[in-house]
Amino acid sequence: MGEDWAINASMVAQRARILSVGTANPPDYYTQQDILDRFRVQNPVVRKIFTASHIHGRYLYLPPETEDGVPRESQSALLKKHRRGALALGRQAIARCLEPEGLEPSDIDFLCCVSSTGFMLPAMTAMYIRHLGFRLDTQRTDVVGMGCHAGLNGMNPVVAWAMANPGKNALMVCCEVNSALYVYDDSIGTGVVNSLFGDGCAAVLIRSAESDEPRFSPRVLGFQSHIIPETWQAMSYHWSDEHGKFYFNLDRDVPYVLGTHAEDPVRALLGRFGLKPRHVQHWIIHSGGKKVIDAIKYTVGITSHDVRHTTAVLRDYGNLGSGSFLFSYQRLLAEGRIQRGDYGLMMTMGPGSTIETALLRW
Amino acid sequence: MKPLETLRYHEDGDLATVTLLRPQINMKMVRELTAVCDHLEDESACKVVLFRGSGGQFCHGIDLEEFRPDQGVDIHGFNKWEKVCVRIERLPKITIAEMRGEVIGGGVQLALVCDARLASPEVTLQLNEVRLGFLPGMATFRLAKYVGLGRAKRMIMQCPTISAEHACEMGLIDEVSEQIAAALDQTIARFQPIHPVVIQLARRLLNESFATDFEDAIGNFLAAQHRAVTQTAFLKTIKQHHKA
Repeated sequence: MGEDWAINASMVAQRARILSVGTANPPDYYTQQDILDRFRVQNPVVRKIFTASHIHGRYLYLPPETEDGVPRESQSALLKKHRRGALALGRQAIARCLEPEGLEPSDIDFLCCVSSTGFMLPAMTAMYIRHLGFRLDTQRTDVVGMGCHAGLNGMNPVVAWAMANPGKNALMVCCEVNSALYVYDDSIGTGVVNSLFGDGCAAVLIRSAESDEPRFSPRVLGFQSHIIPETWQAMSYHWSDEHGKFYFNLDRDVPYVLGTHAEDPVRALLGRFGLKPRHVQHWIIHSGGKKVIDAIKYTVGITSHDVRHTTAVLRDYGNLGSGSFLFSYQRLLAEGRIQRGDYGLMMTMGPGSTIETALLRW
Repeated sequence: MKPLETLRYHEDGDLATVTLLRPQINMKMVRELTAVCDHLEDESACKVVLFRGSGGQFCHGIDLEEFRPDQGVDIHGFNKWEKVCVRIERLPKITIAEMRGEVIGGGVQLALVCDARLASPEVTLQLNEVRLGFLPGMATFRLAKYVGLGRAKRMIMQCPTISAEHACEMGLIDEVSEQIAAALDQTIARFQPIHPVVIQLARRLLNESFATDFEDAIGNFLAAQHRAVTQTAFLKTIKQHHKA
């Protein structure tokens, strides 16, 4: 396995690296109990979902409290909240990502924004250029409406761009204001969704070096996608005439379906590099929910220790959508246990139903 | 697989036999056991792996010759041993330990990671590590699951030598037999038909059973069960049921 890569060292050297990561969340943190109290949730099944969901709390942009506990935000107010939240979170996450590298937004040559929690036109990249000091000739792409797995769908073209433009700085920003996408009623379906998602943003700097500068950051060796079209509607947005809002629907069994298929892209991706799951030291998996994490453990054959950051991010933030896996990546780096030559596997899951994977090597 | 010095590997149909050619475990044996695991996972189609010893013995544990009084002891070697034990414990095959003679220290540890343990009547078991001033590896984690905490404390802290019969009564050995070859055949037959994925899932849930709280365990079980019932083995069972 490792030997194959020694042979292809020159090919590996050309791959782009993830140089830095920065994250941000709204200022206010709510435990699950806080949210139940604030919205005076009565349905015992929904209350049970909130307290048993393996989430401690979440950072959210919640609306002001009302007398009867029912939140009142129109769709236009939610779109505004998404835009304002995305700007505030993006500003912080981008600064935290670039600062350790001594860079400013004006040093960025390619900007890719990933978001699914509010439709924007002009796009998020345009808003960031307008407000955050990016150059007017910054090249840009917006990946919108793809869902929780979209961080890797964004990273794939960003890595390709970085490799086609050695020495140039590419920045990907995954920004989700999940509190801008909800319907509030007493049903179990909305209860599941409203108990799960949190607000957060993660930015990563990606560059391929003109010369092979020696530094300790992972190269992105390749990507592998997998879609399960039979369940393409299992996670989906719908318009509610009753509430005058978009809402998100999550089918009950889809976590296990995703888990069952997770083995396919993992084996295919690793197989391209002559590797097996046992050769991967670091698993950087989207914190989709308790069930899907369990399912992946038992199909890919990895342990609770392997998914420790995934479960910890879920516990501390809820499901942050497209940027979730980068929060886990940040925690992995903070542990300081990665060795040169280690492999990491990124995996994100979402609507479609989709599993995206990427292989890293330090 | 590269040529082996401390082991002999033989494959005959569904059965792979790994013979320990020396009673003491040294680092070379650990490396070679790792290579055998690579082969079993990546290339072998066998369904059952038998671990056995040679010269009327199974395994006497760690080779103290590996250590020098004037050199520091590296924990890394112990880690390598634990890693290969986990590899054996998680193989996508049925694993059986065939014990003979005095089974000591690492020999007991190796038997604990197998799915079944057979012994001839003269076998004795002993975890002697604490007496020698170190620890019996992750037998500190596994043993109590087989025999209960009280017996595990006695075995690990007082280092008694236990007869095969006694070990069998405690649940540490599955079967004691003069005709060990026949006992092996019967054991393999009892595991049939072997569904590798289902075997791995069942074994993993059992291995995790004492170290997981119920809320996590039920989540793990449902994930594993979903994987099991979407396998061809279960679908075949349903089809046969309806045909009948």
